[in-house]
Amino acid sequence: MSEPESDSISKGKDGLTIHTVSKDRLLEFMKDMKERGFNHLSLITGVDRRDYVEVVYHLHAMDRDEYVVVKTTTDNGVVPSMTSLWNSARWDEREQYDLMGIKFEGHENLKRIFLPENWVGHPLRKDYDLSNVQYINMDEDGEDYATFDQGDGW
Amino acid sequence: MNNFVELNFGPQHPSTHGVLRLRAKLDGEIVRELEPIIGYLHRNAEKLCELTFYADNLIFFDRMDYVASMLMESGYLEAAEKILNIPPPERVLWIRVIMNELSRIASHLVWAGAFGLDLGMLTPFFYCFAQRDYILDVFTEVCGSRQETNYMSVGGVYQDLTPEMIEHIDAFLQSFPKKLEEIYRLFVKNDIFISRNKGIGVLSKETAIDYGVTGPMLRASGVNYDVRKANPYLVYDKVDFDVPISQKGDNLARFLVRFEEMRQSVRIIKQAITKIPDGPFFNPKAKKSMMIRLRGDGEYYARTESPKGEFGVYIVGDGGVKPYRVRVRSPSFKNLSVLPVLAKDQMISDLISISGTIDLVFGEVDR
Amino acid sequence: MKSGDAGFITTTVEKALTWARSNSIWPLTFGLACCAIEMMSVQASRLDVSRFGSEVFRNSPRQSDLMIVAGTVTKKMAPRLKRLYDEMPYPKYVIAMGVCVIQGGPYVKGYSVVLGVDKVVPVDVYVPGCPPTPEALTYGIVTLQEKIRGETDR
Repeated sequence: MSEPESDSISKGKDGLTIHTVSKDRLLEFMKDMKERGFNHLSLITGVDRRDYVEVVYHLHAMDRDEYVVVKTTTDNGVVPSMTSLWNSARWDEREQYDLMGIKFEGHENLKRIFLPENWVGHPLRKDYDLSNVQYINMDEDGEDYATFDQGDGW
Repeated sequence: MNNFVELNFGPQHPSTHGVLRLRAKLDGEIVRELEPIIGYLHRNAEKLCELTFYADNLIFFDRMDYVASMLMESGYLEAAEKILNIPPPERVLWIRVIMNELSRIASHLVWAGAFGLDLGMLTPFFYCFAQRDYILDVFTEVCGSRQETNYMSVGGVYQDLTPEMIEHIDAFLQSFPKKLEEIYRLFVKNDIFISRNKGIGVLSKETAIDYGVTGPMLRASGVNYDVRKANPYLVYDKVDFDVPISQKGDNLARFLVRFEEMRQSVRIIKQAITKIPDGPFFNPKAKKSMMIRLRGDGEYYARTESPKGEFGVYIVGDGGVKPYRVRVRSPSFKNLSVLPVLAKDQMISDLISISGTIDLVFGEVDR
Repeated sequence: MKSGDAGFITTTVEKALTWARSNSIWPLTFGLACCAIEMMSVQASRLDVSRFGSEVFRNSPRQSDLMIVAGTVTKKMAPRLKRLYDEMPYPKYVIAMGVCVIQGGPYVKGYSVVLGVDKVVPVDVYVPGCPPTPEALTYGIVTLQEKIRGETDR
């Protein structure tokens, strides 16, 4: 099988091959990668580069123990979801949505995983203001909600 | 469809190993749908890592998988030392292997004790914790702390292993295998234990890989993937050990794989304490530049084998004194995500034993 | 207490009650994080806490007298902690174990940790350490016993 085409290829400090792919072609590229034996999506990372957000995928071929890195960038924080290819993307994408604010298009259950649903802001973004403290309380049904009012929560 | 009873477990529950909350939809006694709700121990370690110097970040890693803190430290340092260009000397690699394997035994012992408690067996808990205390005595001797050790540092370790300390480790290794078999017999000679675990919670090879399950859980499903063998770090290529594998994929297989891992860890430490070379225990470059703060550049993904699975640390440096982004691939997080699949159409009592064999540590799931 | 010649003891009802109460403090099984493992060590064979009458860790708050808050209290957990505390019958006591519980510990700069459990429930004894050794927690329990008996004004 021929090598799937990426926009550019480089090497990281850790010796892993880095494929950079535009986000329009990402899903197609990942499909090719899965057919080439990368059956384990190890990690999804969002990196806030201030002007844009970089999404880094670590793919692993379990049978021949090969790691590659796939990178894509997004200006508006939307990238296609990988849940149709790997189930391990489900929670990873929810976590990156929660902490980084990346919206994964096509994820059927994209809600916050650690913080309450109405938490304001995404903490791992570089412009998140830590001095603006939020508090959490629980309503009658046992659902959490975030509030800026110190008297209402802890 | 409307007859399902919704049941809430936790976050405070005797058998959820910390602050796991499960929302189950029950049809009689059978779990039809399960949704784990996490985040009750979300301590924002990844954010704090961006606000803290490279060398100081170790404290957050100590407290991630808090029952195996030595392994977390060496996992972080695998990445951080490459980013900072400070390779540790040869002796340090061997010391780290010894400490890693001791920590692995301690972690598996905590798991075995707690797993026994889940199933209503109180006795193994005391046996396991008694043995674990001997390991923690060794840790206290080398670094002064029992659990959150902070023993390793960038480019070395806090203090050298003296011949006396190695003697104490050796003494532990003499007595431990016998005790381990005793604990092992407490479990496997118990008919109730066997019948509650044999054939329960079967995880297939394909599902395991698809969900990103690693570690003993993956090996119990028949996949031979151990980072120590696949991509040897430290000096794991210079010691001789086997990777236990089972094809069954059920609760009992996961139990047996973990016990065999402890036996292999004893083997590794025995070789390491005879092979350990003399030399410095600190890279002099690190000690000097610790004062002027280390600067890191580039990005690095390092994977190590923690007791729960593949522990990956991905660091992005921007040339500053603090990392630009730290991302942790926590094995418990991935292993927990497969629980709804495992527990589907199982009895509610089996749900407890299945979640017990996943070996959850919430410091690592929620970070 | 005074012992008489005829082989009997005279005491006040209050003293007898507090003596009995202080020697049968049943803690709630309430492990949150790292400190919970050290709390389990207190229960285990080396530092058998049943020597001080606290061996029965109850799983239900309705049957326990003491809440050992062992581990970081996050904002999401705080409402649950308050509810568990409210469910405990009087007289009830709280031990704050570890610096995370006392004032936030290493996570003091973060966005999701309650800076001190005493903002949520009243605390009787603080046991510092990260994590405190099992010996320290045992000392904390003994201190609480002294406090119940009124022997100390600490």
